[in-house]
This record gives sequence, C-alpha cells and structure tokens, in this order.
Amino acid sequence: MARRPDEEYDYLFKIVLIGDSGVGKSNLLSRFTRNEFCLESKSTIGVEFATRTLQVEGRTVKAQIWDTAGQERYRAITSAYYRGALGAILVYDVTKPTTFENVSRWLKELRDHADSNIVIMLIGNKTDLKHLRAVATEDAQGFAEKEGLSFIETSALEATNVEKAFQTILSEIYRIISKKSLSSDDPAPTSIKEGKTLVVGPQETNTKKTCCSTS
Amino acid sequence: MLVQKQPLMRALRRSQTSLGSNNTTSSPSSPSSSSWVHLRSVLLIVASSSSSSSSPVSSDRGSLKSPWSRRRRKHALLAKQWKSLFDVDGKLSDGGVRFLKKIRTGGVEPSIRAEVWPFLLGIKEYVELRKQCRQILKRGERSFKLKEISDNNSNEDGGEISQVLDSPNLDEIASARPSVSTESTSLSGELVHKNGHNVYLHTSRELVEQEEDDSVITNENISEAESDSSDSDSSDDPEDTKPLLGLVETEDNNLYETVDSNLEKSESKPASYKAEDFATWQRIIRLDAIRANSEWIIYSPSQAAVSEAKAQQLAESVGLKDYNHLEPCRIYHAARLVAILEAYALYDPEIGYCQGMSDLLSPIISVIEEDHVAFWCFVGFMRKARHNFRLDEVGIRRQLNIVSKIIKCKDSHLYKHLEKLQAEDCFFVYRMVVVLFRRELTFEQTHCLWEVMWADQAAIRAGIVKSAWRRMRLRAPPTDDLLLYAIAACVLQKRKLIMENYSSMDEIMRDCNSMAGHLDVWKLLDDAHDLVVALHDKI
Repeated sequence: MARRPDEEYDYLFKIVLIGDSGVGKSNLLSRFTRNEFCLESKSTIGVEFATRTLQVEGRTVKAQIWDTAGQERYRAITSAYYRGALGAILVYDVTKPTTFENVSRWLKELRDHADSNIVIMLIGNKTDLKHLRAVATEDAQGFAEKEGLSFIETSALEATNVEKAFQTILSEIYRIISKKSLSSDDPAPTSIKEGKTLVVGPQETNTKKTCCSTS
Repeated sequence: MLVQKQPLMRALRRSQTSLGSNNTTSSPSSPSSSSWVHLRSVLLIVASSSSSSSSPVSSDRGSLKSPWSRRRRKHALLAKQWKSLFDVDGKLSDGGVRFLKKIRTGGVEPSIRAEVWPFLLGIKEYVELRKQCRQILKRGERSFKLKEISDNNSNEDGGEISQVLDSPNLDEIASARPSVSTESTSLSGELVHKNGHNVYLHTSRELVEQEEDDSVITNENISEAESDSSDSDSSDDPEDTKPLLGLVETEDNNLYETVDSNLEKSESKPASYKAEDFATWQRIIRLDAIRANSEWIIYSPSQAAVSEAKAQQLAESVGLKDYNHLEPCRIYHAARLVAILEAYALYDPEIGYCQGMSDLLSPIISVIEEDHVAFWCFVGFMRKARHNFRLDEVGIRRQLNIVSKIIKCKDSHLYKHLEKLQAEDCFFVYRMVVVLFRRELTFEQTHCLWEVMWADQAAIRAGIVKSAWRRMRLRAPPTDDLLLYAIAACVLQKRKLIMENYSSMDEIMRDCNSMAGHLDVWKLLDDAHDLVVALHDKI
C-alpha cells in the first residue's frame, strides 16, 4: 500500500489500546506501526502513542494509537485519554484467563469514560503460545457477539492478524464517520480541516485536563 | 531504625499467619505460596545482615568508560577520597558536607557505589547492621564451622569501609531493637549454619515453618549475644541527634504505622488494598521482572556470571515462571527483583507495587549484591519516590506543577506557547517524573543523575542548609526537587523545537517519550543547577 508522508491524510483516527498488564498492547502497537516486536518491551508508564498512515477504503488515514498502562493504578491517567477516541482495542492474553475475565471491567471503563459510540474491538493476543492457550476462541467469540464487539485473535510476535485487526477497526470507524458526515443533522465528532480533510479526535488536550491539571 | 523494625516484624508475623492459612487451600506449588517463603526470607534477612556487606561488587569495573561529558563536571568521588572522608571514630567528617558536595558535583566512582549508596540513601542503620552482623559472626565462629564466612569476612575487613565502621559500642547498637534481633539474629544464625555465606534462603521453607513455632533459636551463642546486648539502651546515643544521612525518623515511623495498621485491617478483612490486592501485585511484579532489560549486565560481572543452577533455584523459590527465554544472569536478576519488590509491597502496602517501581529497583540490585542491603537502599529511595506511585496521584500532580512553574518563571514565552497548546500542565513529562528519567537515560547516566539527586536529598535530610552551602561557595543550594529542575531543563533545551515545530501536546509528548539515548546527563545537571540558582526562591 502506498504511504504518504504523515502530513498528508484525509482522516485522523484516534484509537486507544487497553487491557491488563502484560497482554501485549505495546507490542501490537509496535508491530503495527514499526513492524517491530520486542520480548522485553517495558511496562508502559501512563500513556504513549504512535502513528501510522495507511489506506483505508481508498482513503488515507492517519491512525493515532494511544497505548496505555495496564495497571489499575494508572487508570485515572489513561482513562482521560479515552475521550475523543473513535476506537478502542481491548486486548487480552489467550494464555491468561484472568485477562479475559477482566474484559468486562475494561468495557465498563470504556462506557464510563469514552464516547458512547466508540468502536470497540476485542483482541485475543499471543496465539503463538499454542500449548499454553487457556481461553477458547469460541468463548471470546461468543462474548464479543453478546457485547457487540468485533473480535480477532492475533500474535504480535508472529505478526499474525495484526494488520488485519487494525485495518478492520479503522474501516469500521471510517464507515461510521463517512455515514455521519453525510447526514447533516447528525454532528459527527469530527472537525473539518483544509476543505474536505476531516480531522477526527485530536481533542486529547482537553481530555487530559481531567487527570492532571484539575487541582 | 533499630526501633522501627519491631512493628514490621510483628506485622510480618501476622501477615504470615493469614497468608499461611490461605496456603492450605491453594496448591503448594502455586507461585504465591512458594514465593512467599522467599519473600519472607528476604524480609527476615533484611532485618539481619550478612558477612559480605562490603563485598566489592564493582571492583572489576575500572575499565568502564564514562559516558559523561566534560562540561562542569568535577571528578567523581574516588575510593581513596571516600576512605579519607571518615574520622577516627568511623563517622563522616564535617557532618558529611564534603562527602555530599563531592557527589553533587561529580557523582561516585562506579567501583565504590555499592559502599556509598547505602550512605547516600540514608541507611544509617546499615552501619549498625554490619556491626551487629560482625558480632554474631564472631560468636558464631566459636560454635559453628564458619571458616568460609570468616575468610570472606576477614578479606573484606581489609577494606577501608569496614575499618571505619567498626566502633567500640557494638553491643549498644546491636541491642537497640531487641524484639527484632530475636528473630533476625536467630535466623541469620541458622542461615549461616545452613548455607554458609549465602544470603538467600533457598531451602528455607522448613526454616520458616520452624520459626512459626517460635522455637527457632538453635544457636545458643547467638541468643546469648542478643540477651547480652539487650540491656543497653540505644536511645541515649548522643550521635543520633541529627543523623547526617539517616532516615527521617518521624516520616518512617509513620510508614511503619501504616504498614502495621494496614496489615492489622487485613487480618480481619482479607487483603483488600483499595483496588489492587497482593495477588495482583505478585502477578505484575513477575511480569515486569521477566522483562527487565539487560543493560546492567556489563556493569555487574559477578552477577552476570551467576550459575544456571543458582539462578534456577532462586527463580523457583520466588515462584518465577515463563523465563525459559532468558539467560541465567537475567533469571537471577528477575528473581531478585521479585523477592525485593514483594518484600517492599508488604513493607509499604499503601503503595504496594506499581509498574515503574521495577525500573527504580533494577539499577540498585545491579550495584548492590546483597538483597537485604538492596532492600533498604530501595526503601531509602522510595521514601521520596513512593509519592510517584500513589493511587491518588497527588505526588505526581505536585511535581508536574513544579515543573510547570519552573518553566513559567524561566521562560514565559515558552510557557505561553505551552498554554496555547493546552500543555502547560506539563503532562508530557509524566513518565520522566514517575520513573525519574530511567527510561530516557542509559544505565550509567541514570546512576549519575540519581546519585546527585540523592546527595541533594541527603543534604536536606541532614539539615545542611543554604548558608552552609554558601560558605562552601557552592552555586546551587541543595533541593529536594533537583529531578524536577532537571526535567524542566530538559524541556527548556527543546525550546526551539517546541516553539517552532510543535502544534500540539501530542507532539511534545512523543518527543519526550523518545529521548532515550539523546541526553547528556551532566549538561542536564548543569542546566538544572543553573535553574536552581535562579529560581529556588521563587518556586
């Protein structure tokens, strides 16, 4: 796919990566944005982000992906970044059942702090550890259907389905956004920049106010 | 310090009881139960001491090249100078002013870090524990075959530090915490008996169980040592009035009280430390320990050379898993991280474990080979750093505010630009604040920055006030917030880029998060000191 420089894009989509500590959020991000994987990637402190510009449904989309710390302790900081996000990727580790059990808590987090129409995708990561699998695909699939989430299993290590996962959620966001921007009476959470360029979700500067500067 | 341990040990006994009952329902091989034995061991060892406290961890590091720039940096504190800083009584001369001054301007020579850091981190009891340990060993020699230990010990005795630490008042000091010494000395006696000079209680399960019966004292000489000493009173130690590098007693007593009362609560209502519990901490600690980086290896040759068997054994005793991809020294390092972090989580349950803390501990255990010394150093470090990990984020907000204020005072144009980007709260330096530049600096640079920062904090603890530093003709008075000045300096160094190229907070944050390897720590410290000189009255 053709990649244009960061400056030129039709859409900017902000996505947050959430889930328990150690499920592989940072590696999914580095695999997607830099095609890198690091077994020793350190814990994320607070939030970090990376971007990648790619083609989605024939449009140039700059995906701005916010990687968050998994530990509860950092929740106040990280949840401030949910607002303004058009998508959320909720990751669990297929070898660690607790990380799957905690998915509902993460969903609640999103419902409490994120925009109500946020697109959510559930990702079961670490499928390369076949002999250690402890969460069945069907269980997660069933859960995702019940909750109305899209679902995919990935391996950041083997680069399995990572591209597909991000493409899927970005396409889904695109479809919603383009539908919305067509209907004039339904104000999309977007802002127009440079004529037809639609910039979406760069409001994190307002968002984070709640965590750090209010006091 | 000696007095403070009592509640800890009481608390420990209590928590041991409650956890012990949990263990009956869980599988004996579960990580929590197996690691518990080791965790407890570390805590107990923490209360005792080992024969190798002054082992020259870094004696073979002389060949390291310093990454420091040549700017205003003076020479690091050298071994010879370090030795000369002590007077005949084994105390730091001139109240430690020269000692701290030296470190503030040049850091510490790598080969003596293991000796200097405990002083810098306010572990005055380190001195006392050494004496206590020495005494135990002396007595122990009479009834046990401790040849190996005494050999090690006498080798180390040749070192400068042990000479200066020897003082005539052994008994007085050893006894100051009678209820603790019961436990610690008896255990160290056992330990010595069983494992030679090894400080780890790999095979300590039965030892701990034994101890629960309150019938552990197997070494008569040691129990004698303890009763010998228990009649004297440490409170009249005149040297203790203004501890140069000592822990601030009140603060720490509070900490102990917290530990105590929290564990008390947890007895009736099984462990619920706010949103997170001990089991969660255990899980995350292991996760982070396994992925600790390997930067330290070239700086710690002796730990790098650890045998596979020893590493495996330790890993097993702390219930470490999923480490097959690591080489032995990293397994060993990870296992030490687990042991000490779990011990800390018990010691300070209000904080417990928060991701980022392993970043702070890893450099310490790389320099300091004994778990108990490393633990207390970590406690000394965390005395201030713990606020970074508080659930209520008060500590972080305060610090971000100060960074913001420094920038505002120093460079109103930059500040206005930050306001325009709604970034004046300086959230973009969040990570630098939380893990004290650990992610941005190299291993060696981190050591330098932290040492200088610790020296400032030690100076403040010791009450070395501004006027004293003026007399010493030092430019910048010591500050508790040197790190924040350094962070502000770091942002100010990026001034042009931020003003001209960045149009959102995100961009600044991305820049800040990708500084690793691009910083000059002594330039940073120079700039930070300049900021202190200019602004310390205003901030």
